Amino acid sequence: MATKMSSPSDVREKINKKGRALKESFGRVRDDKQALVSSDWGLSKENDHTTVEEMAVEEEDPGETLRRSLKAKHMKRKKKLFKEMVLESPPDEENEETAVQEERGEGLQRDDSSPVRSPRDLPPRPVIRPGSSQSETSMKQRVAEKLRAAKSKTASLLEQESIIEPVSRLQSLRDRETLTRFDRDIDQDLRVDEDSSFAARLKFRGAARSAARDKRDEDAPLVSDVEEDLFVIGQSEHDFLEVRRAEYLGYSRRLQRERETVFVPSMRTVPASGKLPENVRPRYLEEEGLYVGERPSVSLTNRNILENRILKQAEGREWFGDDGRIMALPDPIKESSSRPPLFHLEDELDPALHTVYRKALKSKHANRYIAAMGDPQTDYQLDVDVSGLIFSHHPLFSREHVLGARLAQLYDQHLTGKQKKLTHLLTDKLNGLRNTIRNMLELHRGEALSQVTQHRIAEYKQEVRHTRHLRDVEQEKDRALLKNIIRVWKELKTLRDFQRFTNTPYKLFIRREMVDMDQDELEFNNEIVMEVSELRAEAEEDYQRKMSEYRRRHEDWKSWRRKQKALKKKQKKKRQQEDEDEDEESEEELGEEPEKHDSPEKPDMTAVEEQVREKATRIRRKPGEPVLIPELTVSGPVTPNEQCPRAEFARREDVAKRSLFIKVLYNDKEVSRTDSRTLNMDFRVHFGQIFNLKIVNWPESIKLQIFESVGSSSSQLAEVCVPVPESSVLTGSAPSEEMEFSSNQRVTFNHEGVGSGVPFSFEADGTNMQTLLTSGKLSCCVSWAVGMNDVPLAPPSNHPVGGVYSGLMQMDAIACIGASSLNDMKKLGKWAAESRLDPNDPNNASIMQLLSVVSGGEMAVPEYFRLEQLQEEFNFLSDEELQRSRRFRLLMLRSQEVPEFRHFKCVPSVEREISEKVFQEYERRIKEGEIIDTKDHIDAHRALVARYLQRVRESVINRFLIAKHHFILSDVVSEDEVPSIGGAGSGVLGLNLFKLAEPKRPLKPLRKERKKVTAQNLSDGDIKLLVNIIRGYDIPIRRPYTSKPPVSARSARPFTEQFTAPVSSQTPVQGSDWPLGQPLIRPFVEVSFQRSVLQTSTAEGPNPCWNEEIVLPFSAPNGDYCSTSLQSFKDEVFINLFDELLYDVVEDERERGNTIHTRIERHWLGSIKIPFSTIYLQSRIDGTFKVSTPPVLLGYSKERSLGSDGGYDAIRSLSDGTFLSLFITIEPQLVPGETIREKMKEVKFDSQELERLLTACEVFEKEAGRCFSDRPCLTTVIDMNGKTVFVTRFIRPLNPPQKLLDAFPNSPQDTMELVARYVSLIPSLPDSVSFARVCDLWSTCDQFLTLLAGDEEEHAVLLCNYFLFMGKKAWLIIGTAIPEGPTVYVLTYEQSRYLIWNPSTGQHYGQYDIFCPLQTIGCLINTDNVWFNMQPYAAPVRMSFDVSRPKLWKPFFSRAFPDPGLSSVQPESLVYRRTDRAAAVELQDRIEKILREKIMEWRPRHPTRWNRYCISTLRQFLPKLELSGGQEVAEEHRLELQSLLGEYRISGFPLHLPFSEIRPIIEAVHSTGVHKVEAPNAEFALAVYVHPYPSNVLAVWVYIASLVCAH
Amino acid sequence: MTVLTTERCCKRCRNAQSARSLMAEVHIIGQIIGATGFPQNSLFCKWGIHTGGAWRLLSGLKEGQTQVDMPQIGDMAYWSHPIDLHYTTKGLQGWPKLHLQVWHQDSFGRCQLYGYGYCHVPSSPGQHRLQCATWRPLGSWQDQLAQIFVGGGPQLRTPDLIYSGADRYRLHTVAMGTVELELGVILRHFDRYGVET
Repeated sequence: MATKMSSPSDVREKINKKGRALKESFGRVRDDKQALVSSDWGLSKENDHTTVEEMAVEEEDPGETLRRSLKAKHMKRKKKLFKEMVLESPPDEENEETAVQEERGEGLQRDDSSPVRSPRDLPPRPVIRPGSSQSETSMKQRVAEKLRAAKSKTASLLEQESIIEPVSRLQSLRDRETLTRFDRDIDQDLRVDEDSSFAARLKFRGAARSAARDKRDEDAPLVSDVEEDLFVIGQSEHDFLEVRRAEYLGYSRRLQRERETVFVPSMRTVPASGKLPENVRPRYLEEEGLYVGERPSVSLTNRNILENRILKQAEGREWFGDDGRIMALPDPIKESSSRPPLFHLEDELDPALHTVYRKALKSKHANRYIAAMGDPQTDYQLDVDVSGLIFSHHPLFSREHVLGARLAQLYDQHLTGKQKKLTHLLTDKLNGLRNTIRNMLELHRGEALSQVTQHRIAEYKQEVRHTRHLRDVEQEKDRALLKNIIRVWKELKTLRDFQRFTNTPYKLFIRREMVDMDQDELEFNNEIVMEVSELRAEAEEDYQRKMSEYRRRHEDWKSWRRKQKALKKKQKKKRQQEDEDEDEESEEELGEEPEKHDSPEKPDMTAVEEQVREKATRIRRKPGEPVLIPELTVSGPVTPNEQCPRAEFARREDVAKRSLFIKVLYNDKEVSRTDSRTLNMDFRVHFGQIFNLKIVNWPESIKLQIFESVGSSSSQLAEVCVPVPESSVLTGSAPSEEMEFSSNQRVTFNHEGVGSGVPFSFEADGTNMQTLLTSGKLSCCVSWAVGMNDVPLAPPSNHPVGGVYSGLMQMDAIACIGASSLNDMKKLGKWAAESRLDPNDPNNASIMQLLSVVSGGEMAVPEYFRLEQLQEEFNFLSDEELQRSRRFRLLMLRSQEVPEFRHFKCVPSVEREISEKVFQEYERRIKEGEIIDTKDHIDAHRALVARYLQRVRESVINRFLIAKHHFILSDVVSEDEVPSIGGAGSGVLGLNLFKLAEPKRPLKPLRKERKKVTAQNLSDGDIKLLVNIIRGYDIPIRRPYTSKPPVSARSARPFTEQFTAPVSSQTPVQGSDWPLGQPLIRPFVEVSFQRSVLQTSTAEGPNPCWNEEIVLPFSAPNGDYCSTSLQSFKDEVFINLFDELLYDVVEDERERGNTIHTRIERHWLGSIKIPFSTIYLQSRIDGTFKVSTPPVLLGYSKERSLGSDGGYDAIRSLSDGTFLSLFITIEPQLVPGETIREKMKEVKFDSQELERLLTACEVFEKEAGRCFSDRPCLTTVIDMNGKTVFVTRFIRPLNPPQKLLDAFPNSPQDTMELVARYVSLIPSLPDSVSFARVCDLWSTCDQFLTLLAGDEEEHAVLLCNYFLFMGKKAWLIIGTAIPEGPTVYVLTYEQSRYLIWNPSTGQHYGQYDIFCPLQTIGCLINTDNVWFNMQPYAAPVRMSFDVSRPKLWKPFFSRAFPDPGLSSVQPESLVYRRTDRAAAVELQDRIEKILREKIMEWRPRHPTRWNRYCISTLRQFLPKLELSGGQEVAEEHRLELQSLLGEYRISGFPLHLPFSEIRPIIEAVHSTGVHKVEAPNAEFALAVYVHPYPSNVLAVWVYIASLVCAH
Repeated sequence: MTVLTTERCCKRCRNAQSARSLMAEVHIIGQIIGATGFPQNSLFCKWGIHTGGAWRLLSGLKEGQTQVDMPQIGDMAYWSHPIDLHYTTKGLQGWPKLHLQVWHQDSFGRCQLYGYGYCHVPSSPGQHRLQCATWRPLGSWQDQLAQIFVGGGPQLRTPDLIYSGADRYRLHTVAMGTVELELGVILRHFDRYGVET
């Protein structure tokens, strides 16, 4: 049991230590013994001895050792105790127990000093002696046996060891001190045999262990000796092993031993005196009359045992009460169970505790299809009950059937009328109203009627009139119906007579009910009298009103007449006095002559009565006439088949062959059908089948199709659409409804059947033709099933209007409350009161009942109830204070993602650190939501548009917030893709292996894929924008200021040449006139982004090569680096191209030799703008870009035809403009956040497109993505209402403004350009920026023109539609371009040439133009179809546009899936408003003023002088530029300027922008840097021109120039 | 936490007036670690926090659902679902309680209820490790039989019962496993209102 596998020396040491410890402890024991124990205790010592011996044997176990040592201590104490006992009281055998008890108590008190004392120490051990002697004897025997065995076995060993034995024995004895002591102290004789036995037993052990032990003693020779001996002797293992018997202690001995430690209380009753203090008599509380509870019953023996035991304890008497019994509480057990039984009926349970058994269900569907409010586990079930159908006409009807059906129909009407008792009700109501009026009048008799009462009476009268009218109509109807029934019955009878057989069992009885003649007449007359009197009163009233009206008018007329007369007199007088005619004036004064009215006729009172009587006879039963009650029965006999004529027989045969069944279609899918039932002679079919539809999809339509089958073929007769029931319509309570159906099939027969859709006649001569169509009634009932426990299996009623909303609703508690749409009962009640619903009207019965219930309940329910009653008292502070906390408000607004606070990363923890101003902007926005601030916007219309856009954006963002929370796996788990073997991509294992073997090609470096960084854990300064400017092409060169113009410049270009290159050959003039002999041009590029501006070094020449990298820091708005905010980041990278000019400013000629003193001036040449969002989404932009240069650049001209022979130059000169090669990227590369548009694909949008079409779209796009993942494919887009629309619906020929069409009547080419220019003038506002990339919305052309802002796609759609209107072949191109990224262009086909139009710039490119920004073409779209590019190449240069070849262009609508004929979403035609010229001029002035102020503001250090002369020239020039459409008219202009301002060096240019806001204009002007001219004598010129186009489209021209005096 | 009485109360009022902008706040940050002791693995948990009317949520989500965890080794399903809530309160009533529903998703992808449980959010600040025992209704013997064969099981018609104080002794329930939570509670300004933390 060595503690560890430690080295032998360790073990030795440990053992040593233990040995020493033992020695010490036993030493102490020995001391005690020596001092105290008399020889009497010898035997007990012997016991000790055995224990100790055992302990010694197992001494290696430390735990055991510890135990032993404790035991030893225990012994020590025991002995001490005994010693005391011995000392104090000599042992008294008789009352040993009590004595010991006392002793113990004293001992306890005395031995307080001893720290550890457990009760177990206490029991006395007087019985120890006999026990020990017994054990001694048994032990003796055992030991003797052992000895013998050992002796016999190891006789030889003994012999050999006889010399060593004493040594080893001594040694071992020395180790065990006790033994040594024992040997010494106790009489040797007494224990001779024991001793020897011990010795013998120990011998082997000692021998075996001596090796180890001797080693410890560093007795090396001994060790070797022993070892040698071992090897010599050790012939068998028996030498070391000893077989021992299982140790067993005899039962009686064990009992004896236990008796030493165990106390067994006696079962005898304890005398009362023992339990009570001395001299106290037991006192019984019961006897004294006090209440004592019943004790729990305990058996007497148990009690005795307990009492005995307690008494043995110290303070044992405390447990006894006064009566000498153990104190006890009353019996706690109640007689009856207070817990209610658990087995009960279900209905007794508290409703809150009800459990519902819910099946384990997949929760997927519930949320996806039906917006489940509550538990997604519920399922929905519709019950469709098809009970039967009745034909009101069937082709197999005979004539008699036709009549019979009509009769039945009329009778039905009659019955329903009777059931409703409308006539009766109305009559009652009329009487009631009359009574009320009478009562009111009586009540106020004599008194003047108050205003209110009068008003009410008038109202009542009005109602009486209305009701009377209704009653009359009703009565008339009733009467007509009765007449009709009788007529049809007569017809039927004649027909039966005529054809001599009966087909139908109809029989009409007419019952007469006699009435009391006198009373009837009285009533009749009364009624007439009443009515007459009323009518008279009304007529009288009417007359009165008319009279008063007439009088008033008459008065007017009279006064007019008087005036006129007076006037005429005056005029006469005047005429007499003067000859001048003032007739006209006077005429005007008086105005028109009022009509002269005739006085109204007095109503004819006598005629009224006659009318009433006449009407009454017409519509009412005459007095005394019996009441006729028709009764239709179907009990009549039908002529049996045999007696019928052949034709009729054939018909009946045919009928018997027919059978009917009904298909149930749910969402246009057949779900079940009824059994087929044969058609009976009465043309009624009974099905009586109920179909339970468990539904997953939201019900859109439920249809029942009626099929008729003859033999095996069946045909559809009709289709009935059943409305989807309200969710409150449940099975059981829902009434069966009768749906009418009809079909317009034409059926003819050659037997008696009348057919359907064919004219037939009842008359023999064929007159009075009738045409009847198959029709009938289907009685069915569709309702929501009721599940177990009366749970309706209906979905919550608010059908998701916008699908996506459902998610939000789930959170909204209030939305869950209303189960039906009619949930505002108060409103309903109000409405009912206002509209004066008639409570007696059976039509209103249900609503009245509802109202009564509601109003009854309303009283009981208070407006609120308080959940936490004591809340108020314990509040820390009031609500207002909580509201006032700025910090909390900020936190809450942040968590609500309010745009202003969304990006707050940290909110201060202390209130005072939050400034009051934080909320100002937000509050203003909330408050002034509706007020339009026109100050910021120059144009009121555009202010409106901006407002509107803002609102659209907000609503769109709200709508897509849900979609944003729609996470997909890659949003949550970001892990690197596992490289796959054999797949394509960067991390291909197989290819990498091959790469190892590849030769190294240091001269052909490859781009390494950069590691992408997620945007979340970035901060300011981590991101850098790298702009690599490689080279430039065709930069315009300076031209000297010569007063004589070059000749060639005069040559005007022919108009037709405009589509080809405007080649104007100008001789480059070497800058001999330039100071310092500078070269043609020294261009450099300046990149500005986020107010940091950096520039390249200056290169030389028109085709410079910079090859420089510019690193710009990037910081996100508000430090928010999440992908959504980066996507909506609006900053742009401006890349400006400048020319650096050096002017020598050395004043002193003498210093020229050794001083260079120059002034650097820079002239803007052009710029490129690239929005940051593009860079972010594309992750890198690489290519050659056209620099947008102003149409006129004063002082510069294009270098041309230097080497016109060169092939490349020839091509390049085709393209007109300056180009820069750039490479832009972001370091580190950011993961472009997935646009929400992609996510939206998972969230279904509402759509009005057919399901089939949408599926086809999905398939088509998926297919396209699989074939060519880099080519964009677009089939469906989302319109402004958030609905998915098929894209071809946007294409439709639309008229451009007529003005544009008229501009160039004979040049279609120019018209096209003008139209394109018009479209490009509509400002571009990328959706991705305005809608924070939530999605791409397409607006229709009229919306676009109203908004005057849109994306590329809106521009393209508009342009395409214009081109289509102009009769061109045009398509939309869905593709990618530089720098826009995915974009939309327009393709036109003309004169066997394809032209690609950039709709947002208005420029066009030939198909083979290498500088065309369009890089990839994915789709072509026109009105009819969508084609996907299946060609190997996607660049326009290398592909064919022949869409008729399906191999190259895969069409969407093909023969397999033809175009369903989609109507366009565009309007019929566009209406253009004429733009106000004056407003444009005003705008022009305002812009000019603002710009001038700005320029002065930008030049704080210098005065800014304006050259008025130049300005006026420029102003005149700008309209010309606009007219020419921005084409170069520069030469003339330059010359013009030159001649005027010969002495100035002018540099300047016009800027051209579409107008949206003022800010971009200022930006553009600022970025040109014209204001930076520092020359002391510089002057400036600024002119603005705004050209209005129809529909408020404005073109803005800004001409800015700086003039420096040449000398 | 102890609520102090009278003399402290007066002080409290003074304090409240002097520093009225200091309102009591509670941050609960932690996670639902997982669940153990359920008859089946592959569990997920729906959780929510219920507070009294005096409490106002400043930020964070007060209910949610974890993913389904199917432990490959061992009995415990780990979710490690974050809880991060920031409350302010104007009273101590309605201290936040957390109620949980543990669900089991079987091999067919069907979900069934495995247990309801609820525990109070500890009111002393610091990190706490909570064990929330769960139970589920037993239902009638028909329900139990059905549950053995077709899955599903009885659920409370009104799950509010999990945290409302209605007498539940009539309900027959079975003990299910325990959910382990680790919640860190940060209190602020409670001492201003006489609440010693």
